[in-house]
Amino acid sequence: MPSFETRELRKTVLRMAHAGSTVHIACAFSLIEIMAVLYRSQLRLRGGPRAADRDYLVLSKGHGVMAQYACLHELGWLGDDELARYFGDGTRLKGLSDAHVPGLEVSSGSLGHGLSVGVGLALAAQRNGTDQRVFAIVGDGEINEGSIWEALLFAVHFQLSNLVLIVDENGFQAMGSTKEVLDLGDLAAKLTAFGLETREVDGHDESALDRTLGALVRHPCAGPRAVVAHTIKGKGVSFMESDNRWHYTRLTAETYAAAMAELEPGSSRGKEAA
Amino acid sequence: MRNAFSQALVDAARSDSRVVLLTGDHGYALFDDFRRICPGQYLNAGVAEQNMVGVAAGLAKGGLRPIVYGLSAFVPVRVLEQIKLDICYEQLPVVLIGDGAGVVYSSLGTSHQSTEDIAALRALPHLSLLSPADAQETTACMKLALDCAGPVYLRMGKSDLGVVHERPLALGWGDLPCVRAGAGPLAWIATGSMVKTALTAAQRWPESEVFSAPCLKPLDESAVGAICQRHEAVIVLEEHSVYGGLGSAVAEISAASCPTWVCRVGIQDRFSQFCGSYQYLLQEHRLNVDAVAEQVAAFMARLPDAVNVSKSHSPSRRAA
Repeated sequence: MPSFETRELRKTVLRMAHAGSTVHIACAFSLIEIMAVLYRSQLRLRGGPRAADRDYLVLSKGHGVMAQYACLHELGWLGDDELARYFGDGTRLKGLSDAHVPGLEVSSGSLGHGLSVGVGLALAAQRNGTDQRVFAIVGDGEINEGSIWEALLFAVHFQLSNLVLIVDENGFQAMGSTKEVLDLGDLAAKLTAFGLETREVDGHDESALDRTLGALVRHPCAGPRAVVAHTIKGKGVSFMESDNRWHYTRLTAETYAAAMAELEPGSSRGKEAA
Repeated sequence: MRNAFSQALVDAARSDSRVVLLTGDHGYALFDDFRRICPGQYLNAGVAEQNMVGVAAGLAKGGLRPIVYGLSAFVPVRVLEQIKLDICYEQLPVVLIGDGAGVVYSSLGTSHQSTEDIAALRALPHLSLLSPADAQETTACMKLALDCAGPVYLRMGKSDLGVVHERPLALGWGDLPCVRAGAGPLAWIATGSMVKTALTAAQRWPESEVFSAPCLKPLDESAVGAICQRHEAVIVLEEHSVYGGLGSAVAEISAASCPTWVCRVGIQDRFSQFCGSYQYLLQEHRLNVDAVAEQVAAFMARLPDAVNVSKSHSPSRRAA
């Protein structure tokens, strides 16, 4: 049984990012605990990435995909070799979520697409009379997209009670803080006003996440549910945390070694030890 | 034509419970029968086309057979990226209906007119494109679309300009039904609303052969090549921009396989300037019968004499 231990997931992300010399490391780090909790105890995978009655994890913020690759690796759905050859010529794992990869439900990266597809999956499950749930992860920057608000109106109107929206609210988007770029204001209040049963949670507290998601899934309300997960972009490596340069910065040999060292058990890493 | 469309929708929904009709708050009276007979399969997604197309993709992934209805000015152009990424990339069986194609909404102006939809969609892999000319073709195209395992866009003109086919026809992908036989120098290939116009205008060139192209993609390249082979010139008519539509597709095939003169008659590179009736707008864009005939005559006048004087035109000239 995979453990989805978050230090290991982050190390997997770093290995991939180093192997492929890729960006978006901090975007993946903010949702590691969310992914870990979902795969460990919320998603009913029921046999495999193409199981007809599986729950769906829709990664609408496709640039966080390395966090999901790390989980698929834990499940044994992606092998070591595939991660080691990340971004190599002729390989299939891209820098953004791609539905051609078993385990990834939507093609995203262009933002504001995945939630609507997830809404359609939730509606299909209801019409098919299955008990499938859809967990859709969106970024807070992504919420700039008008299609997100269209999807929320629709999900509430059609009472999609099997839909759980999870906002990875790390406070940053590509070019700056969400407050500077296009202020979302009180996001939980907005979602509540739209009619979603909404909770806020520390997005890096696994037990709180698990409790909140579990309670929301069981909540007797008729419509969709939402969790605003307060997260830290770059969480887990001190020099990446809330430093938005790590949206686009690639690892060097030195930063790779330093980041990996911080993720060793017993590392005296500053912020967490404090 | 609209009755045929409405009937095809009802038939599809009754015979397959997986069929779900989504509309972006359009189709006021068009869906009365559907809503009465299959209320559980009708879904108004509101004035929110991006979400509607994404939802359709999710429904298709979940095993349902969504039909997305919109005005062709909105579906597909406003949601081109959703069609590309959410539907085509995964080859999902979603039928997209673009109603009121061309300048049908003559009095509403540019926002509701669509003369670029085919050009926008032709380059999307996996997407098939249909453009019926009358009620019979609409019925046949709906059958093709609903039986298709991948995505389809069906372009529908709103106004009937007349009957092209007297009897029901069976259509296969790429078929080019010949609507008038002839061995003269000119072949005409038209689609949608312009098939009837082509038939009428072509009478001025005796022995013209006229084809309807209800299937814009895939086009049967060998059939188009054979038409180019048999005739001195090919006239292509469409209520769509001369850039990127049927005329371009025929010219591409001709250039690659059987070079011949191709006259593209359609909307020039401009928006409608004025308001008025549909017929008025067709005149403004020179797509009424007389203006089409003038354009063809002018085109023919520019061709080398050898083409125009070949009264002794033989269908087998190039085979010789």
